This record gives sequence, structure tokens and C-alpha cells, in this order.
Amino acid sequence: MNSTRHSRRILSCFVAALLSMAGAALAENVTVIRDATILTVSHGKIEHGTVVIRGAKIAAVGPNDQVQVPAGATVIDAAGKFVLPGIVDTHSHTAVEGSVNEISLPNTGMVRIRDVLTNEDVDVYRQLAGGTTTALVLHGSANPIGGQSQIVKWKWGHPISEWPIADAPRTIKFALGENPKSSNFRPPPGIPAQYPQTRMGVEEVIRQSFTDARDYAAKWADYDARKKRGEDPIPPRRDILMETMNDILAGKIDIHSHCYRADEIMMLLRLGDEQGFKIRELQHVLEGYKVAKEIAAHGAGGGTFIDWWGFKMEAYDAIPYNVTLMERAGVLTSVNSDSDELARRLNLEAAKAMKYGGLSEEEALKLCTLNGAKQLRLDHRLGSIDAGKDADLTIWNGHPFSTYSRVETTFVDGEIVFDRQRDLQQRAALAKEKAERLKKEADDEKKNKPAAKKDKDEEPSDE
Amino acid sequence: MKLTRFFTGVALFVLAAPLLADAPGVYAISGGTVHPVSGPAIDNGVVIVRNGLIEAVGANLAVPADATVIDVKGKHVYPGLIDAQTSLGFPSATPRRGGRGGGGRAQSAATEQLPETSPAFASMREVKLADDDVDAKRATGVTTILTAPAFGIFNGQSVILDLGGGTIEQRVVRNAPTQQISFSPRPAWTYPDSLMGVISYIRQSMFDAQQYAAAHAIYEKSPAGNARPAESPSMAALGPVLRRDVPVVFIADSELMMRRAMAIAREFNLRYILSGARQAYRMPADLKDVPVLVSVKWPTPPASKEDREEQPLRLIRERQMDPTSPSVLQKSGVLYALVSGPGKTGDFLPGIRKAIDDGLSADDALRAVTLNPARILGVERQLGSLDKGKIANVVVTDKPIFEKDAKVQRVYVDGREMKLPTEEDRARGRGTAAAGPLDGTWSLTVKAPSGDVSVNARLHVEEGKISGSFSGDRGSGDIQSGSFDGTTLEFTINVKGQGGQAEQEDWVFHGTLSGTTISGTVSTTLGTLPFSGSKSR
Repeated sequence: MNSTRHSRRILSCFVAALLSMAGAALAENVTVIRDATILTVSHGKIEHGTVVIRGAKIAAVGPNDQVQVPAGATVIDAAGKFVLPGIVDTHSHTAVEGSVNEISLPNTGMVRIRDVLTNEDVDVYRQLAGGTTTALVLHGSANPIGGQSQIVKWKWGHPISEWPIADAPRTIKFALGENPKSSNFRPPPGIPAQYPQTRMGVEEVIRQSFTDARDYAAKWADYDARKKRGEDPIPPRRDILMETMNDILAGKIDIHSHCYRADEIMMLLRLGDEQGFKIRELQHVLEGYKVAKEIAAHGAGGGTFIDWWGFKMEAYDAIPYNVTLMERAGVLTSVNSDSDELARRLNLEAAKAMKYGGLSEEEALKLCTLNGAKQLRLDHRLGSIDAGKDADLTIWNGHPFSTYSRVETTFVDGEIVFDRQRDLQQRAALAKEKAERLKKEADDEKKNKPAAKKDKDEEPSDE
Repeated sequence: MKLTRFFTGVALFVLAAPLLADAPGVYAISGGTVHPVSGPAIDNGVVIVRNGLIEAVGANLAVPADATVIDVKGKHVYPGLIDAQTSLGFPSATPRRGGRGGGGRAQSAATEQLPETSPAFASMREVKLADDDVDAKRATGVTTILTAPAFGIFNGQSVILDLGGGTIEQRVVRNAPTQQISFSPRPAWTYPDSLMGVISYIRQSMFDAQQYAAAHAIYEKSPAGNARPAESPSMAALGPVLRRDVPVVFIADSELMMRRAMAIAREFNLRYILSGARQAYRMPADLKDVPVLVSVKWPTPPASKEDREEQPLRLIRERQMDPTSPSVLQKSGVLYALVSGPGKTGDFLPGIRKAIDDGLSADDALRAVTLNPARILGVERQLGSLDKGKIANVVVTDKPIFEKDAKVQRVYVDGREMKLPTEEDRARGRGTAAAGPLDGTWSLTVKAPSGDVSVNARLHVEEGKISGSFSGDRGSGDIQSGSFDGTTLEFTINVKGQGGQAEQEDWVFHGTLSGTTISGTVSTTLGTLPFSGSKSR
């Protein structure tokens, strides 16, 4: 009896020791950004503010005098600097191995971007250096229904399996207009033009796909019913494309649709009502301002460029006031990149919305952060600096809306994935490594050369 | 009944007659250092071969009275090497974007004639071994190969062959030991024309094969009231794969490709082998339960100093790390073999020597081309070591086989001594490999509406097919496919799209060579553009 009590006491001491060790370990993972101007996006600007990062989450945010610096925390003195939530890019094609288009069929909803993500695309690092931390990596726009897309965090340096955001919604790419009707590219001679060739055809591909999906579901329902009756029927073919279409109808997959013109936008919204699907986000949507009320009524968001237009016929009616007009009509609007390069400066793309249309600073900041997060249904985790959200943060040396500002440090899930000073320090060592490796190759070749030469000499010179 | 037996007897006699004519003899290969692989080396050892099999191995063996003594004093005796991944006997061109997509007007001759492959494709029936290829292979000490085509997605059923004489059927050690799968997209506008499409295609094929098996099983049981399921040789051929009777060999070089293959294998509970595996050094812990065939076709740096210096450190680092994969796998206890790899036959022995330079011991290397591949392919009871009862595939070299200038001097396959190519044959072989007029680096300028686009192309011609790489204003990469008939040339490259369009596109060059200049047109998505250029080095 006594000995049991004794051992229990030892055990509890042991557990207490373990707990305190765990506490110490946690304390090591605490980082504090001190005395910065914090652009929370959700609740205004905090001058002389502090953000506490604990593990992968934001533990606290507020004015310096209201936030305690936990003992043992790593403190970053950010006086004179700005802190912004990680930028969310809802239209990316970065980090894809192979083609971003499966071009062969009008509906390729069976293919998945997540199968071909790569963690070796240097553009990711460059985008982290521009403050972008989350991206919707989309299939291309070569067909009316493209592949399934993938929401990822740019977890540079981590295995690719850790990049997709586990609880993010599944997404798929639709596309309207010139690209899916192959206006601007043709198969080489000898290959027949691909259906569809008109906007009518694009609409019909989408309608037919959902019709087929219902037929497919009915086949399986019949099979299940026969099975229930005790019969031994032959199972229908499992079709991963039709499963995708049914998952869209069941609301399990969000549609992000490439579009430009007002007429095709209206076509898709009406087709959605007819077939029973919702559009989550209209991509590009350069003529969104013409039908903004209708877009808002449908509940679709809009992700667009500010002043990128005229690059093809369907982009002629674009105006830089599009963002403001959509926003004012109640459309949840974001700016996004569709480009490895623009994705490095989405802060400036957002800033332009203050000039064209006069959005407030906070409204403009939302364009590249919180609004994108909402479009991706991840605003409970991303897009603003609030306690409990993911510690995806960027420290800037000036206001992110100035062209003179640049990112000093980028955090993803509380981990520093880009740091300007660290990058600068590494450069000499990397250059040295490269020179050494190239020299080694040259030396190895020299070593092997005499033998090769001898071989040549042995060859009959003239035959 | 009697009649049948008679005919069978006649048939056997007719088949057996040519065999008896050159029946394997009785040899005592004597006096050399014998490397049985299954045990330690034997100095002054004897290998006795009878009727195509090994009768005895050891020191101080009594030489049978009927044996021909082969004196190999001072030489080294090994089991024949096994190359567990080749495309010997199949066209070497890969049809990536060639044929229909890239070919355009003048379809690439190299890719046009490739047969369609499928899971039912039987390498045993389709393989066409050229004597020269077999001679060259044996001259490197290889007596057994696994071969399968390197084109298509489902490359089909491979075959293990001894490189001896006789018909293909007589050379077979095992038919259909593996189903081969590679992640090669089809030409543009043919599903699947992207890597992600290939993965979907493989997954759908596996689901279809599951359904095929289920449908036929149910129909067999209760045909009444059920619609008759269609027959499909391809789906039937995947049955043994889904039942884990036959492993899949996934051709996958990089870590990411290997992981993609592993994900498919997990999803469908497949038995599988990874082949290629250049970057295996990065993930030894994940390969503990996966046999690996490491291709020793190591990547080589670009020819010119400028091109090398332009490359990112990552690529340079990777190509220097790749040859450490075998030694890393060895240390981690992974079952692996060294292979030459699918596609063009590379230099097998130099590739192995590179792995030895980078940390693999010669003994481990030997095991990786004998017993290990025999185990991985399930033929270790017949092959892979010099042991009593095994097939008499024996190689004699003048020096330890992996030493730089070691020469293979005698090769026995199925107990018969095979003729090795002479020095003259080899010299002839070198002659044909001499540089042609198109071989070299070309600076090309394409006149696009938006301005000149420069493309530096490094071209190499072999048997009328163009290979190589390019770099320039619109990105860099490999030449996808191409052909050259001595005057006109055609090749396809995959370039970056313009401006904000992230999409890649194919450019097909059609040109004429005159001296050290080429000119012609490029088919692009923007239309046909003129190009010209000259040899820079």
C-alpha cells in the first residue's frame, strides 16, 4: 500500500517534470515582433504594436503596453517597420511540374494539380520575398472544365506533402471565352480543332458534363438499390471524372472560373442556377463591373488585375475601376497574379485600388489578404493579424503600399521562410560552393581526358 | 491418343534437333580468382560447367575427365552480370510531344513507327534483338537483361532474357516478371498530354481493371440477368498486378516522381519496384521496403563553360549528388540493383565505376549487378551467383571487373562460350559514333512579331534522331524529339509562354542545313515564324 503511494508520488513528480520540460520547449518557439506598425487588416492599424507568435499561431496582438513579452521569447525589434498578414494569391500557376494544362479534352476534371506540385520552384522563394505566403494553384484555362486545383502554403524547405492546407476546400478550374474555345492557339496541322470552338460550345460542354454526372449518379443509385434487394449486380465503372462532377453538385468542390466578358459571366451564373452549382470565385472577371449586382446576388467573389488589359480581344473593355465598382456592389473582391512575377508584388497591385476608385487603405489591404482568404474559405485561419490565426506574417521596412518598401522577413506557420539578411549572408557561401563544384567537374574531366585522347589516336586516321 | 503422342514426339524432336547440334559442353574454368558473390573470393579456383548449368565451384576440385580445361590463371571469374532495366530490342526514341503533337507537317520519322503499348504489350513477342547490341552488352560482362520498351505509359510486360543463342523463346529466363509504367505524357491534344493527366490516366486504368475483375467474377457466377461484360486484354493484364502477383516497375528518376509512384502504389496496394531512382540518396529511409533499380546513366554537365556557369547551383549540386545514391542505399540496407536504365543503352561499366568513386565498395557494386537484381526479379534460384545448380552464366576478365581498363575476355551464357566483339569491331563502332555535321551548339534567332527570340540549341544526331538541349529567351530544356536526314532537320522544343501567360508551348523547327548554317521556319501557336542561325562552337 505504502509503496504504491510512494511510487504514485514519484510518478506525479515525473509527470510534473515532463510538463515543465514541455513548457520550456514551447517557450523556445515563441517569437515576438516588437514596436512595429501592425496592419491587422481586420481591426485597423496599431502604431507601436506587438505580435506574439507561439508555435505556428498568433498568440497575441496589440499595442506595446498591452501585450506582454513572454520570458525566453525571441524578440525582433521592428521599430519603424510594418507588419502585414501573409499575402494570399488566389490565382497561381507556380510550383507545378509539367504542363499546367491537360489540354486534350473539353472536360479534364479528373486531373489534379496536387499530384504534380513541386517544392523546387525557385519562384516560390521569390514570392516569399514579396510577401506572398498562400496560393490557390490552378489548372490552366485551355478547356471549359479544367483540372482540380490546390490551395497551398509556400512552405519553402519543407516536403511537398506539407504544402497543401489540409482543411482547405477542394477546388476546380472552369474557363470561359477565348482560351477554352482555342481562339489564340491551334493544334498543329493534322490534328482536328478541338471542341468547343465557340462560346455556345463552352456553355454546352459544361451543361452536358453535369447532365452526364446525373446519369452516372443514377447508375450507381440503381446498383446500390439492386444490391440492397439482395441481388448480385455487376458494379458500374468507377469514373473519376464523373465523381468530380458529382462532388461539385454536392457542394464539395468550389468552382474558380476564368472569365472576361459580361455576357459569358451571366451565362455561367444562369447555368449555375439551372444546374444547381455555385461559382465561388470569378477569375480575371475584367468586365465584372458591368454585371456586379448580378455577381453579388449569386454570391460569387471576383479575383482580378487592376490595370492589365488589352492583351486580347476579350480584355479590351477592362477598366482600372473594376475592383472598386465590384466591391461597392457587394462583390467580395481580391487582386491576384496569374503570374510567377506579379505574385511577388501583389501589395502594389492592391495599392493601385486606392488611386483608381478611391478604396480606403484598409479596403485596399484586404484585396491582397483577407478577401482572398475569404474566397478560399480560410479566413478563420488566414488573411489578418488576429490572435488564434496562423502565424503567416511579413515584416516590411516601410508601408507595403510604397514602391520603395520591401520585405525583411516572412513567416509561414510561425517559421521564418525568408529573411533578407539571412539571404544576403548566404550568397557568398553559395557562390563559393558553386565555384568549387564547377572546378571539381572541370578537374574530373581533365583527369579523364588523356585516356579519351589516347582512344582517338588509336583510331585509324583515314579509312 | 497414340497419334497425339506421336506428333508430340515428332515436334519435340524437331525442336530439340538444333539444340543438340551445339549442345553446351563440359568446361573446367580453372586457375583464376573466382568471385562466387554468394561467398568470399576463391584464389586459384575452379568452376565446372556441364549441360548449361554450374556443376561445382571451389578450390582444388577434381577436373572431370570429359571436361575441356580453360586456363584462366591470373584472371577473374564472375557470375554473368544482370542488367535489370534496359530497352534492348526496342526503338529508343521517346514519343514525348513528338509524333502527332510536335511533328506537324513533317511527322517525326523517329516517333511515328512506335507501336502502341498497353498493359497487355508482351515484350517477349515484340522484342527484336540486334546481334550488335547483344555483342556490345556481353562485352560489358552482362549475360542477362530485363527488357521492355521505354515509350508509352503502360510499357507492358517485360521479359528476362539470357543473352545466349537460339530463339527469343529459348533465351527467356522469365516471361512477364513485371509490368512497366512510366510517367510519359502523350503528344499534345492526345489524352493524357500532361504529367497530371498521366497520373489520372494510371489511376483510372487501375479502377477500370478493378471493375473488370469484379464484373467478370460476378458474371461467371451468375450470367443470368446480368449484361455480359466486355473483354479487354489490357484490363485482364492488370489483374495479376492488382492481385500483387506481379510487381509494377515505376520508371521514376527524381524524388518527387518516386513519391508520386509510391502514392499510386499505396492507393492500389501494389507490389512495386522503383526504377531510375537518381535521387534515391535523398530518401533512403522511405525506401526500406521498396526494391530500387538505380540507373547508372548519371547526368552530365553541359559541354560549354558558359552554359555550366549559367546553371543554378541546385542543378549542379544534384548531378554531383546523384551518383552517391547507390552507396547511400547500401548503408541504409535497402535492396537495390544497378541498371543501365530504360531508353538508350548507356555505358554500364563506367556508370558503375562512378558509383564506386562516390563511395560504393567494389564488392557491394558486384552484388548490385548479380545477386541483388536476381532477388528483386525473383530469379535468385537460377541466377546471380556461381553456385551449384545455377545457370552457367560466367564472365572472365583480365583484372577485377570494375577497374578502369579491365577487359571482358570470355563470356559463357547457358554454358556456351559466346564470341566477343574483336578490337576491329570496336573500332568500327567508334567510327560510327563520330560527330556529324549537325552535332554541336547552334545559335538560332527566331523572328517573332514582338522581336527576335534567341535559342541556343545543343544538338546530337544518332541514327537520324536528334537529341540535345536548348536554352535562351524563352526558357530551357531538352529537345523533345527530332529527326535529321543529312540535309533537312526537324525538332521540337517546349518553350515558356509569352508575357503573363504561364502556359508552355511547343515550337517545331523545320530547317535545312547548309555548311555551318541552318535556316527554316518554326511552327508556334502564333503562327509560322522564320528562323536562322549558325554553329557557335
